Amino acid sequence: MTKKRILVIDDEPSITRSLKLNLEANGGCEVRTVNNPCHALEMARKFKPDLVLLDVMMPEMDGGEVAAQLRANALLKDVPLIFLTAIVSNKETGGHEMISGANAFLAKPVDWHELKACLAEHLGSELQPIGTPGSASVESDKPGVWLD
Amino acid sequence: MVLPRLIKNTMIHTFNLLADLGTRSRICLAANVGMMNAALEWIARSSRKFPRLAAVCGLVLVIPVGVVDYQTGLEVSVSLLYLIPVCLSTWFVGRAVGVFVSCASASAWLAADVLGRSVVGHALVPLWNAVTLAATFVVVAFLLAALKRKNETLEAAVLDRTSTLRSEVAERILAEQHLQHANAELRAAREDLQRSLTELQDSHAELQNTQLQLIEAAKSESIGRLAAGVAHEVKNPLMTLSLGTDYFLNHGPGTSDEAALLQDMKEAVRRGSSIINLLLDFAKPRPVQFQSEDLNALIENSLSLARHQLTACRISVVREFQNNLPLVPLDRNRVEHVLVNLLINAAHAMRDGGTLTVRAHVHPGPTALQSGSGTATVEIEDTGPGIPSEHLTKVFEPFYTTKPPGQGTGLGLAIVRKIMEIHGGSVALTNRTGGGARATLTFNLQTKQES
Repeated sequence: MTKKRILVIDDEPSITRSLKLNLEANGGCEVRTVNNPCHALEMARKFKPDLVLLDVMMPEMDGGEVAAQLRANALLKDVPLIFLTAIVSNKETGGHEMISGANAFLAKPVDWHELKACLAEHLGSELQPIGTPGSASVESDKPGVWLD
Repeated sequence: MVLPRLIKNTMIHTFNLLADLGTRSRICLAANVGMMNAALEWIARSSRKFPRLAAVCGLVLVIPVGVVDYQTGLEVSVSLLYLIPVCLSTWFVGRAVGVFVSCASASAWLAADVLGRSVVGHALVPLWNAVTLAATFVVVAFLLAALKRKNETLEAAVLDRTSTLRSEVAERILAEQHLQHANAELRAAREDLQRSLTELQDSHAELQNTQLQLIEAAKSESIGRLAAGVAHEVKNPLMTLSLGTDYFLNHGPGTSDEAALLQDMKEAVRRGSSIINLLLDFAKPRPVQFQSEDLNALIENSLSLARHQLTACRISVVREFQNNLPLVPLDRNRVEHVLVNLLINAAHAMRDGGTLTVRAHVHPGPTALQSGSGTATVEIEDTGPGIPSEHLTKVFEPFYTTKPPGQGTGLGLAIVRKIMEIHGGSVALTNRTGGGARATLTFNLQTKQES
């Protein structure tokens, strides 16, 4: 099985750390974290993630700009983007609708089960902890091809 | 004064005559002169009040005297010419002149007697009579003319005075009209003033209202900014806590106590987060989604959500739901929030047990509502201590709470009011006469139907 590659972009190290820990240990993913959004594009190009988790409000560059950079890249333009936002139902949330290319928004504080369900939806496969039986049998994100 | 002299003159005159005449003639003359004198006296007396009547009576007396004179062969003109001037002057001028003329004639007779011993048959008698008559007419004419002049002067004076009075009256009328006009103007001015005062009071009230609204808006805005800042600053650490807790829960907590602790931590994160969400909701509500809902079912659902609190406080619930309520256009989640909030407040007011009455009905009755007008009302009554009157006006203000610190945000009822306002409805809190409080929610059945 290939591990799902997930890029986490958030200016708070505690958040990227806790996400990385959960995604790796409980989701069997390969995770890279970026705390400075200015380095996000460079990391994404090198890492080629299957999905990006992205904070909206960051000091150097906000999530919308990062998303625009990623979408502008030919390799990364179809990668699902999930935004993490601290301010739901506020004025800034209205601005989120302007962010193009967002596949989903998750309101902080995100619960693991919530995150797992959302990732599964956008990755097309369930996340399984490492070493869980059955995880190896999930071979591809395109099971239809195999069945045909 | 006049009368004795007259009588004296007449007597002298009479005696003179008597000395010359025969016995029959003397008696006739005496009667004649006596009658004349009696008539004169009567005229003099009564002419004070009725000068013209006296004059007429005098003339009437002259006729029999004249007849007697004629029969006795006396000069007729003696009596007539003597009496006629007296009567005429009495008629036209008055008693005083009549007496004067009488005295003049009598004196003339006396003078004639003294001069000629007897005037009867004297050649000068007719002449004298004519002169006396003429003189009398001249006097009368003169007096009449004087009277006429006096009358004219008087009339002119009266006319003058009348016209003066008339013009004065006209002036007064004019002045009165001016006064009335000024009065009306004054009244109009007062009404204007009253009107402007009312307008001023209205606009003052409006201004105060606007000011209150502005303060509310400013408060809301600052709460919004505060909420956004707080949300950002608090939710990030909460997320770290949440994911850390999740990690340890998934990685097998050591003991059951540790597992319980981790669950408590998750619950703490959830509570913290919901408080922040409440704040965000209050600052800027999400768009409302109206759908026609069954109010009774919604209340039932809210009661089951609050059941834990109600049973914990040993509260019995009485339901008074009107059957066949029409569907009410509302945002289900928000109204549920309102109902749960009010139910929990009621439960908190009856910590030692009590009765909760929930009532739902429509005005003016379901049949009239087919036309789409009317209101639906939900009442939640408790048997607690009620709300102190000093709190009643403030309980809907944001951050106003009577609960001990840490137990209430002071946002609950403020949010309730906001949600009801969004629905075009209202919420009111009152104290019941029998004790306890009553919350009344009113929903408009038609306003939001289209949205």
